Amino acid sequence: MKLSRISNVAWESMTQRKLRTSLTILSVVIGITAIIGLASLGEGFRLEMRERMQSGFELDNLTLIPGSLFAGLSRERFYDYDVKNISRVSGVKAVTPVMQVGNVTLYNEKNNKTVQAFVATAVNFTEFVEIFPDRFVFENDTQPAEYGDDTIVIGHKVNYPTENDTTPFAIANDTVTVTLQILNQTHIPPFYELNYNFTVGGTLRKTGTSGITNFDYWIFIPLKTARRIYDTEESDLIFVKVYNPEDSETVADQIEALFPLYKVTILVPLTFIKQVDSVLGTVQIFLMAIASISLLVAGVGIMNIMTVSVMERTREIGILKAIGAKSRTVLSMFLMEAALIGIIGGLIGIFAGYGLSYALAYALTGFVQPQNQNTVFQNPEAQPITINPVFSLTWTTMAFVFAVVVCIIFGLYPARKAAKLDPVKALRYE
Amino acid sequence: MGKILVHALCGVSFDAAEGELLTIFGPSGSGKSTLLNLMGGLDRPDEGEIFIDGENILKLGDDKLAELRLTKIGFVFQFFNLLPRLTALRNVKLPLSIAGLAEKEASERAREMLRIVGLEARIDHRPSELSGGEQQRVAMARALINNPKIVLADEPTGNLDTKTGWEIIQLMKRLNEEKGQTFLVVTHDPQIAEVADRTIHLKDGLIEQIKEAQKGKSK
Repeated sequence: MKLSRISNVAWESMTQRKLRTSLTILSVVIGITAIIGLASLGEGFRLEMRERMQSGFELDNLTLIPGSLFAGLSRERFYDYDVKNISRVSGVKAVTPVMQVGNVTLYNEKNNKTVQAFVATAVNFTEFVEIFPDRFVFENDTQPAEYGDDTIVIGHKVNYPTENDTTPFAIANDTVTVTLQILNQTHIPPFYELNYNFTVGGTLRKTGTSGITNFDYWIFIPLKTARRIYDTEESDLIFVKVYNPEDSETVADQIEALFPLYKVTILVPLTFIKQVDSVLGTVQIFLMAIASISLLVAGVGIMNIMTVSVMERTREIGILKAIGAKSRTVLSMFLMEAALIGIIGGLIGIFAGYGLSYALAYALTGFVQPQNQNTVFQNPEAQPITINPVFSLTWTTMAFVFAVVVCIIFGLYPARKAAKLDPVKALRYE
Repeated sequence: MGKILVHALCGVSFDAAEGELLTIFGPSGSGKSTLLNLMGGLDRPDEGEIFIDGENILKLGDDKLAELRLTKIGFVFQFFNLLPRLTALRNVKLPLSIAGLAEKEASERAREMLRIVGLEARIDHRPSELSGGEQQRVAMARALINNPKIVLADEPTGNLDTKTGWEIIQLMKRLNEEKGQTFLVVTHDPQIAEVADRTIHLKDGLIEQIKEAQKGKSK
């Protein structure tokens, strides 16, 4: 019997039992819709996350923390020769050390205001600007004419401590008094507190978190001055800028090799992003695997329905065999029914899946809002998350093939049962 | 509880000549249908030989047997065994479709066959819309569509009233005479049995006697 005839016959017997066929197809549709929907939305979400992280992290920046995160209590510091060594590593564009002091108080005599800063960071301004051109940006695009030994730059949240503050704590060229805590050798309180006068070089624009740093909560003073006050040559962090973000991992490896074991921890944004990306990818595959189970359930349903159908059609099968149909012909008639269910269910499921994912993406756009705008680690500029479903020909094809294969595999048992029927017994079947 | 082996047929041996109309007569349980199924290649005996056209059909594989049924044998059943969802025309066409014949030619031949059995006005009716006699005519058309050498009929009149049954058996006789095909008809009706050239009397799986028809007796 020709294949076209077999599919005709299969189609006829399917349309004879419209409700049963539709329900069987529906089960396949649900499975494929789930797979396609999750794949399409999941990939859209993954791409959105990757893009956000890439814009949230400065991929060409490495942050060096002294000591090891394994040895939390180590009191390692960086020295100037470390900075010099790092600058010689190939792929390094710029490198700058910084010193950090916690909990500083600023007082502006002009308006009698006092503010607290989370961190006072002592930097080499010219090097620092080169490394953070996108974040070390001044309000109203003003730039200090030059950075003197008493220049202070104030972060946005320090200048405007609450959302309601409309007048800044200070503006350029104001003189502010900074109260610094001077640690003793044991690092155990009580600390000395000393006051120094600085001239405001400028105030920074709101830029939010990038990686582990948020300049909004920082004030910046010259490294040279801080070193004189604290009488030290050491630094707390080193920032490195690489030429090519793709090389950041190999550059980090080379820098790490410059230090003895456990003397440095390098934060590489690219590694972090890759890890998150791979976690999201794994989650996506996991979700698709769960969705695939629903297709297997559909397969069991097909097997069940077709077994019943074979029993009902026993006599018909007997007649076909008596008038000369081969077992193979009977087998292929039933397998064709299963395959048609898979093909139709698969096609509808693909459309439904993409339809669902676009509908969900549309419904959810703007629904997922970043929370807690005022925490230190929240990017105030964050946009509502928008997920664009991704169409993938590979997945679509795979899901379709999966649907047809599952249907055929589960149709195999009833089809074989039909093919193996003894014609004499089948003809006698009531 | 063990299985009890029952010999449905034992020591049955006979020949049928080409173009002969042969009836197999006997009470129910005598093994008539089993004999017919064996000859049609639907069933296999534990022992014995069955030759069709000089070929021992028991040596054929299942696929070859199916082919034999398709090309050389036509079946007519007591309960017609038409596919209820197909029209008369489609039912008659079925063997041709299985054989892979082109749709158009198959339709033409099926139409012609239905004309021969006198049903040209009913070709688009489904079995449920046909009377018993009409259904049996469709079944005969289906049995003959492939121009088989042998037509095997299992109680073809058993489910029909006497008059219709008689018409069917007369149709068989006519076709037998016109086309020269061999007809083997199983029946338990002595009147029907007498129409044949020869009648094999079966009882308890054994041949009781083979009766030649007396000249002029068939009406």
